[in-house]
Amino acid sequence: MPGVTLSRWTMSYFAAALAALLGAELLMAAGFGYPRAGLQDPDTLVLVHLAAIGWLSLLMCGALFQFVPVLVAKPLYSNTLPLPTLIALVGGLALLLAGFLRLGGHLTINVPFLPVAGGLLVIGFGLAIWNLGRTLWQARPLPLPARFVLVGLFGLAATVLLGLVFALVLGGTLSLAHFTEVTALGVPIHAVAGLGGWLTLCAMGVSYRLLAMFMLAPEPGTTRTRIALHCGTAALALAVLGGLAAICLDFSRNLALALAGVPALGALGFYGADIAHMYRARKRRRIELNSRMAILALASLAASVLLTLAAIGLGLPDSAVAASVFLVAFGWLSGLGLAKLYKIVAFLTWLECYGPVLGKAPTPRVQDLVTEDRARQWFWLYFAAMWCGTLALLFDAGLIFRVTAAAMALATIGIAAQLVRSRRLVNVKSEMRLPAGASRPRLLLCTSSRA
Amino acid sequence: MFIQTEAQPNLAKMKFLPGQSVLGEGTLELHDRAEAARSPLAAHLFEIQGVAGVQLGSDFIIVTKNGGEWPHLKPAILGTIMQHFMSGAPILTAPATAAQGDEGELAETIRNALRQVIDPELGYNIVDLGLVYGVAVTADGAATIAMTTTTRGCPATSYLQEGSGEAARAVAGVTDVEVVLTYDPPWQPGMMNDEAKQHFGIVDEGGW
Repeated sequence: MPGVTLSRWTMSYFAAALAALLGAELLMAAGFGYPRAGLQDPDTLVLVHLAAIGWLSLLMCGALFQFVPVLVAKPLYSNTLPLPTLIALVGGLALLLAGFLRLGGHLTINVPFLPVAGGLLVIGFGLAIWNLGRTLWQARPLPLPARFVLVGLFGLAATVLLGLVFALVLGGTLSLAHFTEVTALGVPIHAVAGLGGWLTLCAMGVSYRLLAMFMLAPEPGTTRTRIALHCGTAALALAVLGGLAAICLDFSRNLALALAGVPALGALGFYGADIAHMYRARKRRRIELNSRMAILALASLAASVLLTLAAIGLGLPDSAVAASVFLVAFGWLSGLGLAKLYKIVAFLTWLECYGPVLGKAPTPRVQDLVTEDRARQWFWLYFAAMWCGTLALLFDAGLIFRVTAAAMALATIGIAAQLVRSRRLVNVKSEMRLPAGASRPRLLLCTSSRA
Repeated sequence: MFIQTEAQPNLAKMKFLPGQSVLGEGTLELHDRAEAARSPLAAHLFEIQGVAGVQLGSDFIIVTKNGGEWPHLKPAILGTIMQHFMSGAPILTAPATAAQGDEGELAETIRNALRQVIDPELGYNIVDLGLVYGVAVTADGAATIAMTTTTRGCPATSYLQEGSGEAARAVAGVTDVEVVLTYDPPWQPGMMNDEAKQHFGIVDEGGW
């Protein structure tokens, strides 16, 4: 403080993430992976990792490099590390996908893709954890939203280490008994640690601050928020440590995951109550598109909880598991990500372009960089298609699922086009677009280092 | 200048420590505007709605309130104390009233100039949003602006600070500008003026 740095590579992370989202949606539209293939088929794994690492994790890393400093009012530990982190993650993901394609028989080259991919992803995520962890460490005692991110980073570490074990075993490098058992039975733990620990806990932490900022709502700091944090931490620990212990000691893995589900429900319940209070107590009555669309993402989170409970009641059939995971990944996490991206891109572009001339010349508002009427239709298309896609998965309607995935891809292109318009200042009135001293931002790179 | 505040056991009182001598020795309690006539600082403090008493101490000022909430009163009190010390006026007499008037006018001109600085997120000028806690000008035109941001850690902080400095520096008669950032008290929507509240559709008077 006071000068929180504008993260130079954040836009590059966002662009790579959006490309991965579009790629995953197009693959689903083409009928690649589930439901045509099985849940753990290599083709499905291509799809899942393109969405989980390429889209959601790159988006989260880019956002955290920018917003962890905001959460803790301290600068990012290193502004140099995000670039090698991005290169390692994108390279690792490409090799991982190649490894799955080889497992699925689509590639015949005899290259140990999976072990190398595992190594690169460990390096990439390790650098991200180191950079964000050091930033949090220097800001102790941490405010509550930042503690969610801290626990989320533990979830990331667990996910990545499990992924490395899987990659080494599947790649033929590791064959110890416990590791092969973990590879055979540990996929649900890997998924829970990734979607629930890393991505959901971080999304919760960041959403507390962003929703408060954008809606003029009171920041959480109540007992309810603390309980949500403790429940989330307990759920992650139970799922990962309990689940792995159950596998290694030959107990029931599903029982450990079910036990973890109890505090997880508590965490989501208290988080939901917090967020509902923020929306009700907000001072800004007319909220912007990003905050309205976040409601749809939060509704998807609530629906996914009900769907998961129903899936457990039905004995976890593949269709219900797939629908539930799809709703978490593409409804809750992607919906919130796209909604906040719409605001964040305009906000960072404003800082980069108009911050240096503030006080010297009249400047537009952040809201002048966007045209909500134009973007609204694409967001509604995205959520409507995603919800229809969830139902299609639930009822094994493969063709309908492909059509909804194509509609999601179309909506993603529409939203991405709006982001490019914000970045290019197209929506700003020409007389205010480039005051003396302001320079047009580059599409993928933040050229200003101060904010 | 940085003014510390300390809550008191009596919740109607608040101690302000400007970091320099106030009376030097002893204390003086002033209970109304008439008694405060002998102290320009106390007289200005009594102009703030909700201030019911002022106690001047060796290096502190204790303000007693009879209405309103501290988060709403503190910005005005901090601004008044800072303006007083920056003006160089004495604590117990008021000899330089003419000069004080000119400086007050310059401070008001600076406040108007700061209206061209907008908070990018809210899209409204920082003065009417209540982000400017005080503007003080010395006899030789050196201005000090005490301001805050809507949220601690806001990525626009440095730009708002620099932009405010630029806007103030462009005012004729200003020879130097220092922009001091403070989060005591933290900003709340209730600090907006009526026009800004109306713009955002805020109808209540409370903080959160």
